[in-house]
Amino acid sequence: MVLRKRVWRMIKKNKGRYIGIVILILVGSLYFTAATGISTTLENMVVGFAEEYRQEDLTFSTDKPIQDIAALEEESGALIEAYRQYDVKLPNGELRLLSPGTKVNIPAVTSGRGLENPGDILLDPHFCQTQGLTIGGQIELNGKTFRIVGTMAVPNYVYIIKNLRDVLPTSGFGIGIVSGADLSAFPEASNEAVTVYGARFQDRKNIDAQTTKLHGLLSQKGYSLSEWLDSENNKRVSMPWGNISSMKSMSFPVATAFFLLSCLIVGVMIMRTVKSDGVVIGTLYAQGYRRRELTRHYMTIPVLLSAVGGLAGTLLALPCVRPVVNSMLASYILPDKGNTFSPLNLALAVLVPVALIGLSSFLAIRRILRKTAVDLMKGDEQKAKVNFIERALRLDRLQFNTKFRIREQVRSIPRLLFLVLGVSAASMILLFGFTYNYSMDVVMDKGSITRYQYPLEYNFKEIQNLQERAVPKGAEPYNALRCYPEGRESVEFYLVGMEPDSIGFKVNDMQGNALSRDQVNISSPLASRLKLTEGDTIRFVNKLDGKSYSLAIDGIVEAYGEQFVYMPFDEFNRMTGQPVGSYSTVLSSHEIDFDESLLSGVMDARNPEAYEDLNALTTLIVTSVTALAVLIAVIILFLVTSLMIDENRNTISLLKIFGYRGKEVTNLILNSSTPAVFVGFWLGLPFMLAFGNVLYGYVAEITNMLIPMTVNPLYVLISFALIFAVYEITKRLCGRKLAKISMSEALSELLGRSQYTPTNLKKSYHFFVPSINRQRKSMYNN
Amino acid sequence: MFLSVSNLTKSYHTGIVTHVLKDVDLKMERGQIGVILGPSGSGKSTLMNIIGGVDRADGGTVEVGGERITDFNDNQLVEYRRERVGFVFQFYNLMPNLMVAENIEVVSNISKKPLKTDEVLSAVGLSDKKNRFPRELSGGEQQRVSIARAIVKNPKLLLCDEPTGALDLETSRGVLSLLQKVNAQFGTTILMITHNVAIAGMAHVVFRLRSGEVEEAAHNSEIIPAERIEW
Repeated sequence: MVLRKRVWRMIKKNKGRYIGIVILILVGSLYFTAATGISTTLENMVVGFAEEYRQEDLTFSTDKPIQDIAALEEESGALIEAYRQYDVKLPNGELRLLSPGTKVNIPAVTSGRGLENPGDILLDPHFCQTQGLTIGGQIELNGKTFRIVGTMAVPNYVYIIKNLRDVLPTSGFGIGIVSGADLSAFPEASNEAVTVYGARFQDRKNIDAQTTKLHGLLSQKGYSLSEWLDSENNKRVSMPWGNISSMKSMSFPVATAFFLLSCLIVGVMIMRTVKSDGVVIGTLYAQGYRRRELTRHYMTIPVLLSAVGGLAGTLLALPCVRPVVNSMLASYILPDKGNTFSPLNLALAVLVPVALIGLSSFLAIRRILRKTAVDLMKGDEQKAKVNFIERALRLDRLQFNTKFRIREQVRSIPRLLFLVLGVSAASMILLFGFTYNYSMDVVMDKGSITRYQYPLEYNFKEIQNLQERAVPKGAEPYNALRCYPEGRESVEFYLVGMEPDSIGFKVNDMQGNALSRDQVNISSPLASRLKLTEGDTIRFVNKLDGKSYSLAIDGIVEAYGEQFVYMPFDEFNRMTGQPVGSYSTVLSSHEIDFDESLLSGVMDARNPEAYEDLNALTTLIVTSVTALAVLIAVIILFLVTSLMIDENRNTISLLKIFGYRGKEVTNLILNSSTPAVFVGFWLGLPFMLAFGNVLYGYVAEITNMLIPMTVNPLYVLISFALIFAVYEITKRLCGRKLAKISMSEALSELLGRSQYTPTNLKKSYHFFVPSINRQRKSMYNN
Repeated sequence: MFLSVSNLTKSYHTGIVTHVLKDVDLKMERGQIGVILGPSGSGKSTLMNIIGGVDRADGGTVEVGGERITDFNDNQLVEYRRERVGFVFQFYNLMPNLMVAENIEVVSNISKKPLKTDEVLSAVGLSDKKNRFPRELSGGEQQRVSIARAIVKNPKLLLCDEPTGALDLETSRGVLSLLQKVNAQFGTTILMITHNVAIAGMAHVVFRLRSGEVEEAAHNSEIIPAERIEW
């Protein structure tokens, strides 16, 4: 069809605008493909590894070896693996030797070969790297020489931390697998090696209930549990799951927002293009063209743009996945199964923008094509209609420039809305990025680490008692349980019993006044999440044994992201049925020389900066979100400004004829958007708060991680400056386009049928020869 | 001499060279009404654009009020258009989303000594329509607004491009009458392009242009009032 030639000409004529649209679609598809690609790849690795190599559902230790594991397996419906572990000190590190699991936590060889001969050892690849060891080499451990035959990954050590309750990996620490016989061959192993149990339930549903059942069975059989940790709370297992959840939770909403924004933009653009082509369409109708032929013609541009953008974004995303996955894998030990892309997601990345943008354009085109040929040829669509706002405005007392700018903005309500909402969207994303970053900073600065007045926390494997093991001066004990409110298992919190004269924790109310420790205090994020206030009662369940309790809330503790309930120490032990003086943890102002074998972990808050590494992913997200927001702002402002210039070509040209200087024209036309950009930015703030609250609530439900949404005025100002800087740059870029509009444009329209068009005063400029519609427009204005 | 055009030439190069104006000479006294008659392609609009400081000549000179505008740089031409010359167009070219008074302010806004908007509106008989949008006016009324916009800066020279080209006879008479009134009241020199030979009767001087040359420059001994023009 000869009309097809017009498509390329239309694209060429407004290439800046269409490139902007393609970039927006491209970014949406790229983000969607990359985010889903990363989460699918990680999920495939993590879930695949967990399933294939039977990752434990819980780890526990008992005071004495379990006698009849097979019977317990039968009763509990779990596979239970007892494995030995023995820590060997090295000159510059420490290696934990594990016996290989056969039922649960089966090691996966990631390079080299498996254990075949006595003296063979498999090492974790990070340890090999940091210790400069290679496959085929040797390592000497307590006088015995082992041959490194390969590297491995173990399901219960995906994130290698020395103690279960450690937050950060210990430098130089690694794991190795040797045969049970080799492990027993260490003369000191019989004394120092510990047996740890890993359990995996065969029925993959109701894990919590089965966990409680197993706990009950062990208690019934007279075993005292010194360690009991489910996989959700075991950082060695759960860390990568958090990454997958956050990637998943962000990928769909953000990409969908991009696609919808693109749809809105393309819809508006196409509607304006078709409207401005009304006379041509009417003429083509009159010549016998069918509606569907014209629909197809005008649909070519949006479909082409969305297909190109979607495809380019998808293709560009493919190589982006690997570096991000690698950076995540740097912290985890997982068999690398390569990138996994879901064909459905790849198809969605291309087809969703095509479908959504195609639909929005189709609706816009149909709206115009419904008119009759006569109406279209009259140029009704292009006639400058005066809307109700313009009609209602009485601006007599204002200066002309102000009046002109106001009228310029309100003359097209869809364009104004598009500008305001577009800037709001960009501001919202930008503010969200900064607020998320700041919220994480607040959690780091004011959260749990800074709550500790005593910086050292020693966690014991077994419950201790003050009568048997008193705590030294400058230290205090506390006892804790993981619980959940009745009916809301996804909300987990710690019930903490602390001494009435405790000074190890800051416990201040919302006004900063110290609260009594001799009462029940709830952290503010948990209170807010459960909608509890002072005087209310919280009913909750002990996650370990399923017992229910209730407590009346006396005070609310100012906290950031933390979820806990504090109660008096003795009352805690009495309520939970533990002996008087029982404690699980010691908080201390100084280092205490506890027997290391008693400890399950030590948290050291003396150097809070060390925890900042945990924020690496956040920094990555914030940086990319900020870049995206700036890009969106640039594209939207550029599109609207260039649209405004195109719609005002005649006015601009006329103003030049009347003697307006370039700066004066710029001032009138381009600066007219300033209030809209201003309003758009400030609207972005409540939008961001609403969006953030929904998203944070969603993340909290999935991950039980509460992030306090804290807006920093400084970041708001920075965002404001950034948006306005983008606006100024866009104005300058578009200013060139405006400067290129010559007086001849208005004159050629005025002269209408003039054979010649005057040259530009500054330079020869080949402008678009006015089409039939322009001439008609003038004629039908009568 | 208020307006003096001497040996004006202009060509366009569009693959082939087209000489649009060939040594055009034209002179008018201050306060006169001049009409340029000629068929399409005769160079009328090009001549007017050069006199209006919107286009440049290849050769020759144009002097307006003693200043040679063909020697002006871009800034001087802007200043010239701002203060000394007014434009009236065939299709009015009002800004559709500005009210009548605001359309006039578009020009008074940048003029150093503009007339009052209300005064000009009164002069063109549209005082009661200052808060209307152009769309709400008839063609004749829109052209009156266009004239008001052109004269609000009190220009010494008013250039009118087919000011009645889109109007019926009765309305055209009203517009032409208004131009005569402006000429008389403000002493504005008016140069008008038209196809319509009948309009020549209201001019002091008539130039016939054909193929880029002034074929004839005639002075009318009797000026016909616009109300009596027939076609």
